[in-house]
Amino acid sequence: MKRLIISAGIFMSFLPFLLISGCSLSPKNKINADPSKTVVMWHWLTDKEDALNELAREYYEKTGVYVKMEVFAPSEAYNQKIIASAQTNTLPEIYGILGSKRDFANFVKAGHVLKLDSYMEKNNQEWKGRFFPEALKSVSFVSGNEFGVESGIYGVPIDVINIQYIYNKKIFREAGLDPQNPPQTLDEFLAAVEAVKKAGYQGLVSGFSEPWLIDCMASNFAWNIMGEEKMIATYRGDVPYTDPDWIKVFSIIERMARAGVFASGVVIKSNKDAELEFALEKDAFAFNGSWAVHVYKDMNPEIEIGIILPPKVSNANPRGVWGGAGTWFAVNAKSDKSQMAVEFLNWLTQKEQQVRLAKETLSIPAVRGCLESVPEELKGFLSGMKYVYHPRNFPVQEDSVVVEAFDKGLQSIITGEKTAKQVAEEVQKVKARQMEKKRQKQNNTAS
Amino acid sequence: MMSESLFYRLQRFVKLSLSYLVLTAVALSCLFPLWWMFVSALKTKISVFKDMSLWPAQQHWENFYYAWTKGGFGQYFLNSLFYTVVVVTAIVLFSSLAAYAFSRLEFPFKNFFYILLIASMMIPIPGAFIALFVLLKMLGLVNTRIGYILPQINMGLPFAIFLLKTFFDKLPRDLEDAARIDGCSRLGIWLHVALPLARPALAVVIIFNTLMVWNEYLLAMLILQDKAKMPLPRGLMVFQGVHLVDYPLLMAGMTITVVPVIIVYLLMQRHIIKGITAGALTGQ
Repeated sequence: MKRLIISAGIFMSFLPFLLISGCSLSPKNKINADPSKTVVMWHWLTDKEDALNELAREYYEKTGVYVKMEVFAPSEAYNQKIIASAQTNTLPEIYGILGSKRDFANFVKAGHVLKLDSYMEKNNQEWKGRFFPEALKSVSFVSGNEFGVESGIYGVPIDVINIQYIYNKKIFREAGLDPQNPPQTLDEFLAAVEAVKKAGYQGLVSGFSEPWLIDCMASNFAWNIMGEEKMIATYRGDVPYTDPDWIKVFSIIERMARAGVFASGVVIKSNKDAELEFALEKDAFAFNGSWAVHVYKDMNPEIEIGIILPPKVSNANPRGVWGGAGTWFAVNAKSDKSQMAVEFLNWLTQKEQQVRLAKETLSIPAVRGCLESVPEELKGFLSGMKYVYHPRNFPVQEDSVVVEAFDKGLQSIITGEKTAKQVAEEVQKVKARQMEKKRQKQNNTAS
Repeated sequence: MMSESLFYRLQRFVKLSLSYLVLTAVALSCLFPLWWMFVSALKTKISVFKDMSLWPAQQHWENFYYAWTKGGFGQYFLNSLFYTVVVVTAIVLFSSLAAYAFSRLEFPFKNFFYILLIASMMIPIPGAFIALFVLLKMLGLVNTRIGYILPQINMGLPFAIFLLKTFFDKLPRDLEDAARIDGCSRLGIWLHVALPLARPALAVVIIFNTLMVWNEYLLAMLILQDKAKMPLPRGLMVFQGVHLVDYPLLMAGMTITVVPVIIVYLLMQRHIIKGITAGALTGQ
């Protein structure tokens, strides 16, 4: 009893403090907007929350339309929320859709997403013309797409991402390399790795336990060696994975592994672990996305980084950089305030707002012409946008079982368990099996 | 004779030393993460990755202030306090009444209802989220405090009823008979006899459900939209970006979050140990 009274006493003494701090919202957070001019936007971007709130406040002062931002994180929970809201028709005016293109297509087919072509094409395509083409492809459906969605643009990208090679300038100097002239070809890259290893550092780190990253590295080589058409033909089943070009792709990874390019334990590292390792300056190179600029700077403000395109392995095609829309938003077609929502997104994707977002959140603008105004660290990623492609935007998608076999095969090449040729044969076997299954399914449907 | 006594004393000493060694190791492994969390809260964004010491040379106590203000903890703290008190009180009240009824009263389909209730413990809550959201929407309870409170009471009830029924089953009926002879009603017996005797089991119910409600976030995310109604874990999300995590402030926020739970645990400690040793958890 005595203990209970003491605890109650302690609690009561804290209560006034709790009540004061709990009930007092700073006036900065309060906007008494007209409900008929209030648009709700849901997102999961906790690290962009302050910047977006500030932009929404500015937009309110300018137009009288208040965009109320509501953050739901982590992204998995956000995803559940929008699915539940879609089922009950309670989606807000502006929201993002996470997941695959199929999920996106389902939202469109259910009538939850406003088609934006008419807005984008106004004034001689002024709005549409602002964006990087690959960014718009990520939020569009082409005619005859496999999901049966009417062709058009269904989202507004607010930033873009791409994945390149990041190098540590300080380690370069210690290894006697010129940070202003980073390697461009595979041979130069391997020589640079040898030099940094002699200086006591590891070569390249990445989160290869996450298969998409290793897939992305190999796809970049494939793009450079065989180009888009042949990659699509492979996914369609017209070119086998045992084709010499594909064997060359696997062989490059094998050559890199044999040359000791990869940091120890790279295939069991998550990208978060890999980011920490690079930020602590243990590795000279990282294979990571544009978001990493912010991550490295946050973990180690002293780090000096440079960006390079994937090493050139062929003269047959230009180099390719995996990328596309980063964050994008859809407008609720069922909302009577969809017009206000479109106008806000149009304003948000004007150069001035995009540069502000880039400066405050170190993300790459989704619109072109910002190179001079963005922070120095982003310039390498921003100029890499002209090489960007994304397999998700191909008219044909590779079967997920084949992708899994492909990624696992690459991991086993890095660990030295399998050779490039073995992996090519194994992936082709899986591909043939999946093609046969697909054929049987089509025959059954036809009969 | 002398050497035999020495042998037994030595044997006892070795046994005790081993037990203490094992218990100390277990205690340390339990306390170390908490200590690490607290120590990380005193570091900077940079030193948190580089300084692996158990006590940083420079302590940044201001992190607690920043975590509190940046995470908007004041408001969330009050919200969580409100949700926890309401939900736990309701669970204790309803579960003790229901458990007593299942234990002492005879009514049609008693076993069927009891099995149905226990079976609901097998349903993973996240799997039912969308269906729950649809139901709450139909009832007009989305984005309301009551819409957040009711499902949590519902989630906590089956286990609490199971636990208390097992406890009531083991209580001697003689005390209740004596109370009845003295003119006590059924409700009076529940209040004056059964509940005070079930204190250890009630402590277990309170601590388990306090933990559940205090740490709950997924349901809040689904049902609530206004930041002003969100519970405490929402404050922690401020420090966890898609790519960036502010570890010192996150750890400071977590330390603040954990304090009330530790207080509740310390208050109930005596009873919870009794509850466990009395077989409340094992159901024996």
